Amino acid sequence: MASAPIAPYNSSPLGNSSSQNASRESLKMEPLADVAVLPGEERVIDKDIIYICPFNAAVKGKVSITNYRLYFKNTDSETPVTLNVPLGVISRVEKMGGATSRGENSYGLEITCKDMRNLRFALKQEGHSRRDIFEILFKYAFPLSHGMQLFAFLSQEKYEENGWNVYEPMEEYRRQGLPNSEWRVTFINKNYELCDTYPTILVVPYKATEEDLRRVSTFRSRCRIPVLSWFHKENHAVIMRCSQPLVGMSGKRNKDDERYLDLIREANGTIKLTIYDARPNVNAVANKATGGGYEGDDAYQNAELVFLDIHNIHVMRESLKKLKDIVYPNVEESHWLSSLESTHWLEHIKLVLSGAIQVADKVSSGSSVVVHCSDGWDRTAQLTSLAMLMLDSYYRTLRGFQVLLEKEWISFGHKFASRIGHGDKNHADQDRSPIFLQFIDCVWQMTKQFPTAFEFNERLLVVILDHLYSCRFGTFLYNCESARESNNVRMKTVSLWSLINSDTSLYINPFYTPESSRVLYPVASMRHLELWVTYYIRWNPRIQHQQQSPVEQRYKELLALRDQYLKKLEELQLSDSAPSSTHLTNSSTPNAATANQHITHLQTPF
Amino acid sequence: MELSEHIKTANVEDVTLRRPFHPALRGTLCVTSHHLLFSDRKDEASWQLLILLRNIDAIEKRTMGSSGTITIKCKDLLVLQLEIPGMEECLNIASSIEALSALESVTETYPFFYRPSHLNLHGPWGLSSTEQYYKQTERLWDRWRVSTVNSDFSVCPSYPRAVIVPREVDDEKLVQSARFRQGGRFPVLSYCHLRNGMVIMRSSQPLTGANRKRCKEDELLLQAVIDGSELGYIIDLRSAQQAQQARMTGGGFESKSCYSYWKRIHRHHERGKVLQESLIKLVEACSDPSHSVDRWLSKLENSKWLSHVHSALSTAGLVVECVERDGHSVLVHGSEGTDSTLLVSSLAQLILDPASRTLTGFLCLLERDWIQAGHPFQQRCAHSAFSHARLKQECPSFLLLLDCVWQVWRQFPLALEFSEALLLRLAQEVYASNYGTFLCNNEQERCAAGVKENTHCLFQSLLSPNIEEQYLNPLYEPTDLAIWPSVHPQSLQLWTGLFLRWTEYAQNMEEAREEMWSIMKEHREKAGPDRTNKTPSTHCDTLTPFENLMDELTIL
Repeated sequence: MASAPIAPYNSSPLGNSSSQNASRESLKMEPLADVAVLPGEERVIDKDIIYICPFNAAVKGKVSITNYRLYFKNTDSETPVTLNVPLGVISRVEKMGGATSRGENSYGLEITCKDMRNLRFALKQEGHSRRDIFEILFKYAFPLSHGMQLFAFLSQEKYEENGWNVYEPMEEYRRQGLPNSEWRVTFINKNYELCDTYPTILVVPYKATEEDLRRVSTFRSRCRIPVLSWFHKENHAVIMRCSQPLVGMSGKRNKDDERYLDLIREANGTIKLTIYDARPNVNAVANKATGGGYEGDDAYQNAELVFLDIHNIHVMRESLKKLKDIVYPNVEESHWLSSLESTHWLEHIKLVLSGAIQVADKVSSGSSVVVHCSDGWDRTAQLTSLAMLMLDSYYRTLRGFQVLLEKEWISFGHKFASRIGHGDKNHADQDRSPIFLQFIDCVWQMTKQFPTAFEFNERLLVVILDHLYSCRFGTFLYNCESARESNNVRMKTVSLWSLINSDTSLYINPFYTPESSRVLYPVASMRHLELWVTYYIRWNPRIQHQQQSPVEQRYKELLALRDQYLKKLEELQLSDSAPSSTHLTNSSTPNAATANQHITHLQTPF
Repeated sequence: MELSEHIKTANVEDVTLRRPFHPALRGTLCVTSHHLLFSDRKDEASWQLLILLRNIDAIEKRTMGSSGTITIKCKDLLVLQLEIPGMEECLNIASSIEALSALESVTETYPFFYRPSHLNLHGPWGLSSTEQYYKQTERLWDRWRVSTVNSDFSVCPSYPRAVIVPREVDDEKLVQSARFRQGGRFPVLSYCHLRNGMVIMRSSQPLTGANRKRCKEDELLLQAVIDGSELGYIIDLRSAQQAQQARMTGGGFESKSCYSYWKRIHRHHERGKVLQESLIKLVEACSDPSHSVDRWLSKLENSKWLSHVHSALSTAGLVVECVERDGHSVLVHGSEGTDSTLLVSSLAQLILDPASRTLTGFLCLLERDWIQAGHPFQQRCAHSAFSHARLKQECPSFLLLLDCVWQVWRQFPLALEFSEALLLRLAQEVYASNYGTFLCNNEQERCAAGVKENTHCLFQSLLSPNIEEQYLNPLYEPTDLAIWPSVHPQSLQLWTGLFLRWTEYAQNMEEAREEMWSIMKEHREKAGPDRTNKTPSTHCDTLTPFENLMDELTIL
């Protein structure tokens, strides 16, 4: 049977699409077999192994493990099957079968990954052949559990751009129009004495004294007092973020906290300050038992409390686990939609998005808001950053988005280390949760609904998620700024933004039309949310893989063609008398690798 | 009875119009023989809404005190409300709408009255025909011929006058074969694959009946189709069990012993009522006004619409696999051969044939394989998803085709020359139109009603110079390869552009689409001045390719 000709951007629904997925991974980097390792990367072990590919048969090959990655290349056939997995992606390594297990390929290793896939390898049963590789994997995948350093500290990569310079807090606050007569910058936290999980530079009401801030901090969980996240230049409304008040079972009150919230309200003459508590009402009540709680009506008379019903990190973790179950390795086909529904993943996305829409809507109507959950580093970060993305077109640029992540997530202490578990062997840690992934998913939903409003493309989002786990860059390491500072992250590691800003063309959305004033309100109805198939199901070879969407690529090709045409026309005018035909034939082909097919087609008249 | 006799109240003032996501408007409502016209005369720039009465699927009236409300549900899924002062006026208008939206006689319908100044009734009607397809396809000339055995529609009332059949089968054999097939729909050629000469045939089921009747001529006809090659495939669009059961009612299937060169594959496809009910459920779920939209995904799944899309695309993929990969000819049929048969054979062509992916090529395909091939549009599209009338012959086969094409377009955004806008326009036109293209059930009826003489052709109008542009895909890049769509459930999506068309979201996307177009226009303008730069005339000949190239870019 002749195999059907398949366009480069086609996927074959009728099987026979072998190892597309694995091999395309290798396109990103030179094969390790030819030793094109990252500067600072060192090979630890090579071994013959069988990769039990869930989409094809078992594949014989060689695995190399370095201090950064696991690299597999097949040796048994012409069609390349490769795996290129940063060790940071691994959440769990287990032994599969024993020395006496029966059956083919029953003795080996099972690797669970954080990025929606699992890997299985089989080895020869005789001579404890997996002992060394298991121990090495275990050690290098979880360096922090073995007193070793994360790869980001060993990497010697150099880039033209220094990504650590992307976010300068003062510069960002000035861009927002701060400080001003209503809001001031305070350095009270310069040694992380007020709050060890906040950044050093904070913006607070002009009228609040340093002493006020200290007193308020005693009444907020982990001292995360309400501070400014975003300022609306026209109506002067603000987004404040904080943690829950320490009300407790006895319903404690704190005059300073009440007065402080009133200062926030007064700053732009908001009539009623809206407090968005991200949690479901019952959870907020339950938190009183452990000393937390919410702002009661009688204590905060000029405020209105709204619960946004977003569930906690444990619910999100379980939801993603269910999603993984229905998409990897095989996609649940028979009842796809109801299975998808039963994971509740999209429902959670909907709640987060609609919460952010309420925040953005309130602020653009001129009222200031306060956003918190329990500790103010998970759901709060999701809500403030999404609302800011809706309100402020700057954050929708490639640079602005980096600033947004640096500011709302990294500097304000989203606990990346705990949520992701970088280099830590404890895969069942209850602190792990895909909160940041969920946020990126929400951003993706927005880019789908507003295809021209974002300067960056889907690829940027995927690369961010890949390096959220990879430990190659320092950007997402540690839980907060103080920890990053004491570990000298800025000096000793490279920023992810160095990689991205050194070649921005890969991440640019060609359809982007800058538009400064509009607030984007995505539709957060279930009907309009989609599963991000190209991320969650990308390991399945049946899913079309595009390094870049064909639409983007085609558009760029046409633009390149146009530029080329204009250049040729210019040349033609200059060399008016030159013998024309040869001149043209020669000049129309080169440097248009992307548009090649097209040119050939057009050349037929010659 | 004159149409105007249905109109007791022609004009009502002070009517309030409510549409989803728009502020209410007050204005004047008029009923004419074919239209409902609302105009808002408050502002200087008056705003008008003109609805073809044919487009109205169902109305609900409610009276309260001296005024009444009419809810109008259109076949294109728009729902709007009119608040009419005066109970009598309200009831009059409602009864006019009811009578005039369901005119029985084809010649009373609007296409017979539509006379825009820029169109002219004289001249050729339509884009393509059997003869033209034959003429263009040199590959056919050797072994195939055009038969006019049906020139008076007596052999098969639902076929066109001319059909393509194997050269060695004479008309007498065709007549015999037609007697052996339901509705006289004997096997005819629908498509010839240029690369290997394999063909896609279509027909209705053979009338083998309970006592396994045979028909020599039918067997010879099919044998002539394969002409010595080892094997052909019959894709039977019913389950094996259904095909067996069909024998009890006089139908049946091609048995292995009588058609030894043909291998039969059964693929179950839902038809008629089941499809119509699926559409109704889907639209119900989509227009559920509650904000919470609990269990939306289950509702979507329960409507089964996407699973019908899935079956259609995967069977079309199977046909393509037989023709393109394995190099065998295929015969497609279900029972009548007027619905799923056309759906599968035309989708297979879209996947296989680059020529059917251009705007003109696609419209020609629809014309040949749906309109001339006798898909009973009038019966199938009498109602869409809102009507409470008892279902008769309604079935959204054509809508399902458009949805499948949309899925292909979404998966291969560069491969089709036309855009989603064309599919949306067709989805609207098929239910209610100013044009005659989708009128009647087959060519015979069209001839009897004088459709070609007295109405305008939609497809010709879509291709006219200023209109065509709206329906082109700016990013089109022709490819000669087959485009195999993925049919995995996660690859198939609800066609929001159609089913959620009237929600806010559609407007977002509309704006985004406009923005994209304006970027493209801007680029075109940037390129514009340079284009006008006088190029030395001596270079004229050699510049041709660049002019072509520039044409490519002006599509941007």
